[in-house]
Amino acid sequence: MNQTQAPIVFNGEWLWLGNLGHAFVILAFVMSILSAVFYFQHEQTKNQSLQIWAKRFFQIHALAIVSVFVVLFSIIFFHRYEFHYAWRHSSNSLPVYYMISCFWEGQEGSFLLWLFWNALIGVILQRIAKSWESPVMVVIAFAQIALSSMLVGFQWGEFKLGSSPFDLLREQRPDFLNIPILGQLGVENYLQVFKDGNGLNALLQNYWMVIHPPTLFLGFATAIVPFAYSIAALWRNNERGWIPYALIWSLVCAGILGLGIIMGGFWAYESLSFGGYWAWDPVENASLMPWLIMASAAHMLIISKSTGRHLFTSHLLTQISFWLVLYATFLTRSGILGEASVHSFTDLGLSGQLLLFLLAFLAFALVVVLEGKKRKWALYGIILALLVPMSLAYMIKSPEAIDTFYQWLKGLGTCLFLVWLVYYIFALYNKTKANMTDERMDSREFWMFLGSMFLILSLVQVFAATSIPVFNKLFGYKTAVPSAADYNRVQLWLAMPIMLLMSFGYWFKFRETDLKTIKKPLIQLGLASIIITILLMFGFEIYELKFVIFLLLSITLVVANLVYGYQKKKFEWLRWGGNIAHVGFGVLLMGVLVSSVNKNVLSSTKDGIDLAPEVDQKGNQDTKGIKFNRENQLLYKNKPQELQQYTAIYLEDIKGVGVDSIDKYFKVAFVKKDKEGRTVDSFVLSPKTQNNPKMGLLAEPSTRHFLHKDIFTHVNYESSMDRKEPFSNFRVDTVGFFRPFITQTGKVVMSIDSINRSMDSSGLKVTLAIKAKRLGDSVWLRPEFLINEITGNFDMKPAESDRFGIMAAILNLQIIDTNPASQNIRFVIQTGEKTPVWDYIVIQVIEFPWINLVWAGTIIMVIGFTLAVINRIKKQKQLMA
Amino acid sequence: MKPFHLILLVLAAVGIATVISMYGNTTQYVAFPDAQRIADENPGKAVHVVCKLNKAKPVVYDAQANANRLEFYGFDSLNNESKVVFTKPKPAQFEQLEKMVLIGTYNKDHFLATEILSKCPSKYEDAPGASTAAK
Repeated sequence: MNQTQAPIVFNGEWLWLGNLGHAFVILAFVMSILSAVFYFQHEQTKNQSLQIWAKRFFQIHALAIVSVFVVLFSIIFFHRYEFHYAWRHSSNSLPVYYMISCFWEGQEGSFLLWLFWNALIGVILQRIAKSWESPVMVVIAFAQIALSSMLVGFQWGEFKLGSSPFDLLREQRPDFLNIPILGQLGVENYLQVFKDGNGLNALLQNYWMVIHPPTLFLGFATAIVPFAYSIAALWRNNERGWIPYALIWSLVCAGILGLGIIMGGFWAYESLSFGGYWAWDPVENASLMPWLIMASAAHMLIISKSTGRHLFTSHLLTQISFWLVLYATFLTRSGILGEASVHSFTDLGLSGQLLLFLLAFLAFALVVVLEGKKRKWALYGIILALLVPMSLAYMIKSPEAIDTFYQWLKGLGTCLFLVWLVYYIFALYNKTKANMTDERMDSREFWMFLGSMFLILSLVQVFAATSIPVFNKLFGYKTAVPSAADYNRVQLWLAMPIMLLMSFGYWFKFRETDLKTIKKPLIQLGLASIIITILLMFGFEIYELKFVIFLLLSITLVVANLVYGYQKKKFEWLRWGGNIAHVGFGVLLMGVLVSSVNKNVLSSTKDGIDLAPEVDQKGNQDTKGIKFNRENQLLYKNKPQELQQYTAIYLEDIKGVGVDSIDKYFKVAFVKKDKEGRTVDSFVLSPKTQNNPKMGLLAEPSTRHFLHKDIFTHVNYESSMDRKEPFSNFRVDTVGFFRPFITQTGKVVMSIDSINRSMDSSGLKVTLAIKAKRLGDSVWLRPEFLINEITGNFDMKPAESDRFGIMAAILNLQIIDTNPASQNIRFVIQTGEKTPVWDYIVIQVIEFPWINLVWAGTIIMVIGFTLAVINRIKKQKQLMA
Repeated sequence: MKPFHLILLVLAAVGIATVISMYGNTTQYVAFPDAQRIADENPGKAVHVVCKLNKAKPVVYDAQANANRLEFYGFDSLNNESKVVFTKPKPAQFEQLEKMVLIGTYNKDHFLATEILSKCPSKYEDAPGASTAAK
């Protein structure tokens, strides 16, 4: 270290921009604290001026967040690579519409996005929450404190608060200032070297990746509102007025989150090569968990609103859904998933802070639930429980001791956490238990409750399986993550009762139902559904019993809700929300069933060159060749290959647009013929590979969409990835035009057909067109010869053909007649040979029948949620008026 | 209140049963000899092995002979060596992989992997500030 020298002044840095952004972060952080404190005081004292100030502070906070957003975007837009974030996540060649995606590649940007949505929600709540504003906004502002602290980026010795998006490249990567070239340029001019950024992850450079993350984050952000209302109601000693608002927001959240999740699935299907839209990856599960419980919470809130029952469950589920959002953030952002997920997330060292954030919210909830003295004691207890280990950790200096300490803390912390949780639930139950009279089995609330509980069961399985990496970390297990099949096996059965309850639940009335009135329609519905199922199961080709039952239930779900909606609501579309959402869910599940059960790997090879005898997983000789993932076919260029009912021909490969393009498109034609040999269907797909220097070969699939099926294909391997065999059998000839000459073995006959001369700044370039013939086939080779006019040096560029296994290079020119018009030149040509290789690709082709039902179901469901939200808002307005 | 509580109880039981059966089905990360033992006792049960490629021995993939067969040698975390056969095409930049997780089962003299989970090595992938993380 050369600390004695004067500090270096670096040239060309826009430090002011980073300082401005950092200042806005700090402003936002401070304003969120002030706003939370003032709202809190207003709720306690009802002093009107406090609320006015709290409002202003939050508005300044929101403006500051927007400013941070603008500054960070400017840094990326103006390619200011002195900032680590811009260097790490963007590059000069990045189009403007993908610059926004840089926000979600980095953690700081993701937190910023979340802050932005929360700020927006906060400003909306300030306008519409009326009497609930203060307690609800305390929770929102509290979340903003926690989130903006993630961006503050303060460091006191060992202790670090947040990670600023405006950190400098030279501070984050001091090693960069030691690269040799800076020895000549001078360290202060390092920006002249770092003129381009590291670039955005190629997978994120996709249209869907521009809209999927913000949608998902908006879904996550809205989950705080029902939670905030629940806390507010508890704070106000169990007031009931929170239910309609929490219900509306929980519907908003479930709708947006559902849309965001499926958008992610659609992105995966369109641009990743795993061949599907859902893989039960922990990152996907992390977003599914809050959705499952939010859907279930919404139904509990409907019960509470209509009957006053199950207030405890409503509170509990609304709160858990928000905690699961925090848990999901912790899972995906702390790096704990590690190898368990294909999504890679780097650890910014914020996991401690994230955990603290989660605990702080739990603590807040506990304090609010308790009353009087207990409230005070809980507060002191929590502060003590947080401060003692923190100060102990600070005091212990020796590394071994701190390791032991953390081991202890992990065990003790887990126990304390569980006790805390159980006590909290107990306290919540005591505070909110109400109307515990017997539930009638002929009431709608009974069946709705049951349905919600099945959603919770589904959640429990996903939670238990997704949390395995966490348990591994906590208890030192070495359990592997469950496979998709493990999830499917359980979820298939759990979905059935859910669908059944969603179908007939509506026919019951709240409180009690005259069973005689619904007996007949339910029997009619059942029969109609069975008939439709029998017709459709042959169309869908679904014959296995459990799948037929699943299909029957999904059809019942669609039919029952359509009929009920029509009978009760006719064409009052606004009132249809719930039914339409149910129909959408049914269509979605039907699509999931049909597209996955009858997923057909067209490229699976039963016969041909591809059968090495192996035993399958049950120990049987594998004769079919499908069980073992023999799912890839080799296609030689221009050689038709049968893929079940299709014939596929690999036509050509085309380099992507642009000189530096690393993209390669493979044109593959698919032809389907009927028995008479007439072409019934033909299309060309162009799966892409990208030889990405950072990520290896990325295969982007290409899909042909039909109404009733998709043909999905992607390239897994191609001949240029083979190790190149070197040329041998070299031979040198001196030849003129049109004079045939042969290679060493005589297998290929060549002749020079024409010459092309061109001048550029470096000199003269001569290109020959040589025709090579082999067994009636021919190919053109175009070797080049360059003469540098200034230095007089020669340079050559050989031409080769893998298919013919030959190369030709011009070693020299012998000009006999200097008149350029004359053709009297001789060329010294070197030829070489190797084993001919035909270009080929290895592709996987999958047929997904009726996958459009998945997307259609999602859209229908979102429409349903939207209608339900509008209808609930309308009703609430009428009630208040 | 009774039927209601009964249903809650049944649901709780179903939930617990689901979770237990799922954990019963999970596998541990094992070494090659364990994988061999598990395959003998329970043929076809898939296990996970954390594996490092043996770069000294050849990686054989001949797409024209069999596009769905890749052969290589790897070390498990305890440095046991085994031949591995993978039933899919060779992943890109396979020779440069630092670490991978094989999913599959032991089959006679080799580990038969039906799935390889890997994170590609990336010289740029780093965790800025991770070293100064708050504990």
